[in-house]
Amino acid sequence: MGELLETLLQRPNFIVFVILFLWGIYIMAAHPNLVKKLIGLYIVQTSVIFFLVAFSAKEGATVPILLTDTAAVDTLNYANPLPHALTVTAIVVQIATLGVSLALVSAIYRKFGSLDEDEILEQLNEQ
Amino acid sequence: MSSNLPVLLFLVPFVMGVSMPLITAKRRSWCPNITLGTVGVMLVLSIANLRIVLAEGPIDYAFGGWAAPIGIAWLNDSIAALVILTICVVSLISLIFGRLVLTTELNKSVPYYTLILIMVSGLVGIIFAADLFNLFVFLEVTALAGYALVGAAGGKGLVYAFRYLLLGSFGASLYLLGLGHLYVATGTLNMADLAIRLPELMTSTAVASGLIYIFLGLSIKMALIPLHSWLPDAYANAPSSVTPLLASTVTKVALVAWVRIEYSLIAPGVEVSHVPVLVLLEELGVLAALIGGALALIQTDLKRMFAYGGISHIGLILIGVSLGNATGFAGGMFYLVNDAVMQAALFIIAGGVLHYHGARTLEDLRGVGRQSPWLTGALIVTAVAMVGLPPTGGFFGKWNIILGALEAQHYLAVFAIVASTLLTLAYFLKIFSCWFHQPQFAESEPLQVSGALRISLGAISISIIALGLMSDSIFQFLLESATSGGA
Repeated sequence: MGELLETLLQRPNFIVFVILFLWGIYIMAAHPNLVKKLIGLYIVQTSVIFFLVAFSAKEGATVPILLTDTAAVDTLNYANPLPHALTVTAIVVQIATLGVSLALVSAIYRKFGSLDEDEILEQLNEQ
Repeated sequence: MSSNLPVLLFLVPFVMGVSMPLITAKRRSWCPNITLGTVGVMLVLSIANLRIVLAEGPIDYAFGGWAAPIGIAWLNDSIAALVILTICVVSLISLIFGRLVLTTELNKSVPYYTLILIMVSGLVGIIFAADLFNLFVFLEVTALAGYALVGAAGGKGLVYAFRYLLLGSFGASLYLLGLGHLYVATGTLNMADLAIRLPELMTSTAVASGLIYIFLGLSIKMALIPLHSWLPDAYANAPSSVTPLLASTVTKVALVAWVRIEYSLIAPGVEVSHVPVLVLLEELGVLAALIGGALALIQTDLKRMFAYGGISHIGLILIGVSLGNATGFAGGMFYLVNDAVMQAALFIIAGGVLHYHGARTLEDLRGVGRQSPWLTGALIVTAVAMVGLPPTGGFFGKWNIILGALEAQHYLAVFAIVASTLLTLAYFLKIFSCWFHQPQFAESEPLQVSGALRISLGAISISIIALGLMSDSIFQFLLESATSGGA
């Protein structure tokens, strides 16, 4: 137990990731309000992006641009650019998802006059 | 030109989809014809692509001339070419059918057609992608267009589209998380590269959990039981014009994505902490096949019944591809192609019944059989294929999955396939008993159905039978690509 705690405490980034991820799932599952569900989804997505950024962090490294092409390249001095490229793409996907979901939520609100899932389900069952 | 076919197959619908609002700014009525024409061009390209792949073997397509581990690669092999041809055929038929049942409001809507073309281009991307991250992006392109299409008609569909979006995006996040794990463990995202580096790392918990996250994410997308809850509601309330397209492609293509990952990364007989991975997947398939069939049997709504039928077939395909031998794999992939066509046929029939007879539930179906000979004929052909009787493709697919299961000596899988066949037979008997029931009202003249419905019903029935007649040659080349090790 002590060992586990020690390894956990050496990785604060991952503890933050796990907390954000589970928190997001809880909001998605527990809140009846559709916009709050969306916020939960957004937290889950952001936590995964945080995970991608966290593992690519490198102490004392700089941007991966070579200044000369004659000197030998020491990879320890440069950050890995790939996870950051993935992150940017994932953020774009996240924004697109958010756009579609907000459009759906506003259409639901115009149609049912409510954002509460229980009230909407009631209306659906009446029809 | 011919070497660029994969990219053309993606770009044609994508460019047309994006430029649709510009082209049709002055003439809204052009939209349906432009969409049909684009999918027609794709059909021609995909036939040419299949011919080239069959003649020359798998082709690696490297973007911008950068080869695989550094650049982005697409893999154009016989499985990809065959699935894309299937997608083009079913989307063409669904579009022809869609024009019949489309509300006038949607028919003039430019976004609707843009979404369809973008979804089709995303599907092409998923199938060609040989890189985990590329796959993720295309999964999301397809899924976003799918959410919007489910909600396109408004009303109840909106709520179920929102649920689909919540679950689907959560699945995509899980997939991204798993991809991150695999990248940390191996330092690459290319599937061929991963296949080289992974076998030594199978004991690592990061790799195992990465694969589990990827599987969970994709099983939400493919509606594998118990993660299927979004599908029946979404498909039952989506506009009738898109359900054939959604039902036949989206879940199957997510399954193809998983098959690619599974086939290149998980070798037969691999065990992670004493759990044989493939057997576990096969057992999940068994559960899905049985529970899906049973749930289909208790439905009273026609579309929901067909949706659960599709869920149970996802299980059957997963059994086939997880048996760990070439017969089962080729059988599973062949069944996947068949299932795509059969799902399109089922939802076209359900949409046609709703349009002409206003029938949603089994009760309403009474007497439809006497009035609509075209719908009856197509339903009989599809039922024969769903139950799996020769000469339809459904028989040869199931038969080869069973042969594969016997070869691997997994008798539980054989039992599941036979039992799900019986369940399928049972729910079709339920439909037929209402279909040919004495009509509620006085006998009326046979209904005049429009040409669009006749063409789409005829074309889909012919494709079902043609798949059965050509099953031998298709099965042979699937078997070849399964044994040659090309995923």
